[in-house]
Amino acid sequence: MSKGLLFSIEEFALNDGPGIRTTVFLKGCPLRCAWCHNPEGWLPEPQLMRKKERTETCGFEMEASDLAARLLRDRDLFAQSGGGVTFTGGEPLMQGPFLLETMALLQDVHTAVETCGHAPEPLFRQVAEAAGLILFDIKLADPGLHRRWTGVDNVLILRNLAALKACGTPFVARVPLIPGVNDSVENMRATASLLEDAPSLQRVELLRYHKTAGAKYPMLGLDYRPGFDTEALPQVHDCFTEKGMKLLIL
Amino acid sequence: MTERIEKLRAFLRGGGHHRFRRTPEELGLDGLSARFAAECLPDVERSARMLEALLAAEQPVILEGERIVATRTISRIPSVFTDAEWAEIKAAHTLHERGTVSNISADYEGILRDGLGARRAQIATRLEDPGLDEDGRRFLKAADDCITALQGFIARYEDCARANGLDEVAEVLRVIRSEAPQTLHQALQLLRMVHFTLWESDCYHNTLGRFDQYIYPFYEADLRAGRLDRDGAADLITEFFLTCNKDSDLYVGMQQGDNGQSIVLAGRDADGRYLFNEVSRICLEASYDLNLIDPKINLRVDKDTPLDVFEQGARLTKRGLGFPQYDNDDVVVPGLISLGYAPEDARNYVVAACWEFIIPKNGMEIPNIDALSFAGIVSEAMGHLPDFPDYDALWAWVDGRIKAECRRIASAHDRLYIVPAPFMSVLMGGCIERARDISLGGVYNNYGVHGTGLSTAADSLAAVRKNVYEDKSIGAEELCAALADDFKTRPDLYEKLRFDGPKMGLDDDAVDAVGTALLDSFAEGLKGLRNERGGIWRAGTGTAMYYIFHAKDLPATPDGRHAGEVIPANFTPSMFLRQRGPVSVMRSFSKQHLQDAINGGPLTIELDDSILRNDESVSKLAELIRFFVRRGGHQLQLNTLDKETLLDAKAHPELHRNLIVRVWGWSGYFVELDECYQDHIINRIKYKL
Repeated sequence: MSKGLLFSIEEFALNDGPGIRTTVFLKGCPLRCAWCHNPEGWLPEPQLMRKKERTETCGFEMEASDLAARLLRDRDLFAQSGGGVTFTGGEPLMQGPFLLETMALLQDVHTAVETCGHAPEPLFRQVAEAAGLILFDIKLADPGLHRRWTGVDNVLILRNLAALKACGTPFVARVPLIPGVNDSVENMRATASLLEDAPSLQRVELLRYHKTAGAKYPMLGLDYRPGFDTEALPQVHDCFTEKGMKLLIL
Repeated sequence: MTERIEKLRAFLRGGGHHRFRRTPEELGLDGLSARFAAECLPDVERSARMLEALLAAEQPVILEGERIVATRTISRIPSVFTDAEWAEIKAAHTLHERGTVSNISADYEGILRDGLGARRAQIATRLEDPGLDEDGRRFLKAADDCITALQGFIARYEDCARANGLDEVAEVLRVIRSEAPQTLHQALQLLRMVHFTLWESDCYHNTLGRFDQYIYPFYEADLRAGRLDRDGAADLITEFFLTCNKDSDLYVGMQQGDNGQSIVLAGRDADGRYLFNEVSRICLEASYDLNLIDPKINLRVDKDTPLDVFEQGARLTKRGLGFPQYDNDDVVVPGLISLGYAPEDARNYVVAACWEFIIPKNGMEIPNIDALSFAGIVSEAMGHLPDFPDYDALWAWVDGRIKAECRRIASAHDRLYIVPAPFMSVLMGGCIERARDISLGGVYNNYGVHGTGLSTAADSLAAVRKNVYEDKSIGAEELCAALADDFKTRPDLYEKLRFDGPKMGLDDDAVDAVGTALLDSFAEGLKGLRNERGGIWRAGTGTAMYYIFHAKDLPATPDGRHAGEVIPANFTPSMFLRQRGPVSVMRSFSKQHLQDAINGGPLTIELDDSILRNDESVSKLAELIRFFVRRGGHQLQLNTLDKETLLDAKAHPELHRNLIVRVWGWSGYFVELDECYQDHIINRIKYKL
């Protein structure tokens, strides 16, 4: 039985897959996206967060069986609404064995995993096969820009995307819209090309950057200096519906 | 919304009709009570004479584009008694709030079916009874005078309409002056006149009851006869809703906006049919389009209500008006039946000004006459904590004290006086037959008692059980001392109890069961007690404004609450709950035996409306509401965050500790954010980004 490190469990998550879902946030992430709104998800260890009223420890350990039992309490609601559980983070694949074990314990509950795709290929395949839905984040199509804005290039990510397209598990492509970083028509066109020939693609979701992103940095003793104009509104280019893909802008 | 309604809405919102208003002093109506006193006029006659004088002084005003008329032009309703008389009344009696009839639901169905003339005929027949006593005769004459005054008022409006070439309006008014309405237009106009007159007669919190049920026959008849199509009907219903906002700034309640104009949609009948009809749907649409706070909509639902109905409701929730409120027939109807209501009356329940379940036509109930402070009783028990050897002993004391408080409340409301309301009596079941004013009682004369600080009390008892009796991590005297000095010397205990203590709202069976026991004790405590009118006492989960009074002098409590700090309103979790989310809150607050504490009082959940941006999310919210209903929750109110709430939270974080804001992938407690981020969120909500 393995233990996982979580930083939040959120009920009634509305934007993480079908129906009413509970979203589990796993701590630890290989990327450092400049616009990240959950910086408490970066480090794979508990850390202190200084809030106005008191300092709290962010990050708590849970056994897979305890987490599954807790999530299964809502199986009636999941069944009624066609919902389930979504794992996100951080990067949930950073805790692969724990993730797989928990998913197996959830039995008939629909599971979704949101991933940045930066994970060892065999693990990625295993998770993609076990999950009912993958929410696959695509930040930037260009490898150099990807490295500049997230800290890693996207070679592994694109390889896993190809594997995902091939394995047939339904997936949603999620693209954050960051003003001046990836909201150009060129990047959107390139992203749309990456998603071609994928019958299991359910839809593309464009997630508008929100200014609240910086709120948690001071609580962690970090400065939020993302290097782009946070006051600018992101451009929205739909290069997806013309290719027959469904688009949702959040 | 049609262009006509849009124009009318803009005009009314701009207050263009306020210029027609006159004060009672300007109209020479301010001396009436002195004259009544000089004439030694009986109270019921005063009510009728006052209404006659007011309706006669009203100036007919028909606003441009109006098809449903009647605009209040008198700014204030004078009392029928002089100040000196009020002092005498207060010395001899208790009064409820303002002393006039309030918060009941008239038999609109009956008056729309029969018309005003039929009521006068009924009174005339009743007056032929030689066995009538003098009081009965006086009451019946007063009631008849009220109808005559209203008919005169309608006639003056009819003349005004004709003089302005508004033949359609004039014809509608001519019919409803005496006859029963036949068309939707006539029905809504008569309803407007009757509702207007209730306010004019100094009754308040005048609810509108099961609007969709009593209006539907007229809608159906018009459509069948080809007189009207759905759009035409929606236009008229929307206009009627607009009229509820026309004079509402003059409607006295206990606070501004609290005017009690609630309507109740749908519900299930004895044959198991769910009564959501096309008028119900039009009402939800009209309210959505108008985006105004009146009328406040309640939606009667149950476990078999179609998802589509919940979706219609959720869509309106998104508007941010704080309604619809959902009332669960599966809990409310059996609850009312077990309190002794006739099944047909229980199935016909409506909602009073806020949340209390009342019976239209037959109920002269006072569902908000007093409140029991759960938190106050638990706090009092803390004074004896070292004397209790175990939790059972503590609980036995609390249970006994709740029951003693129930008995005290039940004996504290005698000698009640209510100003007669002969016009309201015309609209209430049995008043003409009994020849008695409704202020003296109806078929049901039950009183309701709110219960404040339920979660504060449950969390406190659970914390004591865990820390003092189970883990023995805190000594009884140690806790008493910490509470007595408001945790000043024990910040460690404060932290532990406030943030890590057991709380209702986390789906924790142990603490939720304490909440159940408290409510059970309350319901049992009132069981079998009678009020002076022969009615029963009903326990409830609402708080009204009592939660403020009850918190003010309340010492620190074992849930980590500071002395004087707020307690939650209605049936809601602690302000310091570290929420898991609405699902756990709904689970915790649907475990109690709510059927037995059915006076009313909703679970209130605040939602960030940004999560309701798209249709998918609205459907998911509908599923969540249905989940609560299927779990056996009795009443649910959903608020969406608005700019004002957030500004208030910024200024008074202590009142909004568990206010959560959510953006995709991100959520946080608003009060914990730095100011610049709070401002971002305020702007986001303000501009609906």
